[in-house]
Amino acid sequence: MIDSILLVDDENLFHLVFEDACSLLDIALSLKTFNSADEAEKYFKKIVDTNSKKPDCIFVDLNIIGSTFDGIELIRRINFVHGDGVVIGIISSSNDDMEQTKAMKAGAQFWIIKSDQIEPRLEEFKKDFDGYANRTLPFKVYK
Amino acid sequence: MIKISEDVKKQLLKLAEDKNIYLEGNILKVINASEDVELQEYIKNARQKDDTMREKRLEITKKVQSQNDELLEWKSENEKINNQLKEALDKAEKSEHRALKSKEEAEKAKEAAINDLDLLQKRTQNQLIESIVKVSLWVISGVGVITTVMFAITLFRGVENKIVESMWSNMFGILLTNSFSIIGTIMGVKYASSNGGSPKNKKCNCKCHD
Repeated sequence: MIDSILLVDDENLFHLVFEDACSLLDIALSLKTFNSADEAEKYFKKIVDTNSKKPDCIFVDLNIIGSTFDGIELIRRINFVHGDGVVIGIISSSNDDMEQTKAMKAGAQFWIIKSDQIEPRLEEFKKDFDGYANRTLPFKVYK
Repeated sequence: MIKISEDVKKQLLKLAEDKNIYLEGNILKVINASEDVELQEYIKNARQKDDTMREKRLEITKKVQSQNDELLEWKSENEKINNQLKEALDKAEKSEHRALKSKEEAEKAKEAAINDLDLLQKRTQNQLIESIVKVSLWVISGVGVITTVMFAITLFRGVENKIVESMWSNMFGILLTNSFSIIGTIMGVKYASSNGGSPKNKKCNCKCHD
């Protein structure tokens, strides 16, 4: 089971869906959610500055309404500005190849496509998590 | 993993038995109950209850989410249709404006054509009057000259000719009165053509001017 997960998504309803799915599938023990990329960046900066424990995995939405930058930029900042070592990827309803390439370049390790049937994808991701944590698995899209 | 003391365990079990209240959420996943069968049973029941509740909530949340998505789709569709309607309305307004402009231009052109026609008619009338006046003047002066010459001959010869004399005086009188009558007629025609003759002052029985 993943110890701690951070979810950055502007949709509050999806926070509930994600939380319940994670709990039912025994994916994560603790989940923290943010509605904007700016809030998430601040939180991550604070963690780095205070040398606190980083979340094990970060799920970021592609287009986060109400943020000054998008999910790919947040991934880039977390990876290249605030220090890497976190399993990070996109969770979005989009399946755009160009965006996926951009996300990969920014340091995303996975791309999960949001839909009504998110549980099988999250279950598959749970199996792959150790590979992402060890940096042995390549970028993967969960369709 | 956390360990639950005997006292807390008893309280939890009593609360579950009496009021059907159980611990919920991820705390159940971090309680160490490996050596306690009662606590294992409690956690099993609590997790079962928690999972059932979460499943129900997940189902409802997903339904609400999909309804929200549908509503958003409808909203964007509505906005699209509204924009199309607005564009069509703008186009119709522009067309109406253009039609009005064309109508105004056509009316102006019609007015200009009527004015040109009126001017042409007046010019023709003036030319006709000019010709009449010229011919009349030639006739008047011709008759006047001939009778005067004839009268002068009779005077110089010293021949008394009553016919020529009376003819000259009659002719002169007639010419004088007729010339005034001609001038009067010309003036009348001019006056009539300048006031009553213009198309603006003419009363038309047809339905072309309301």
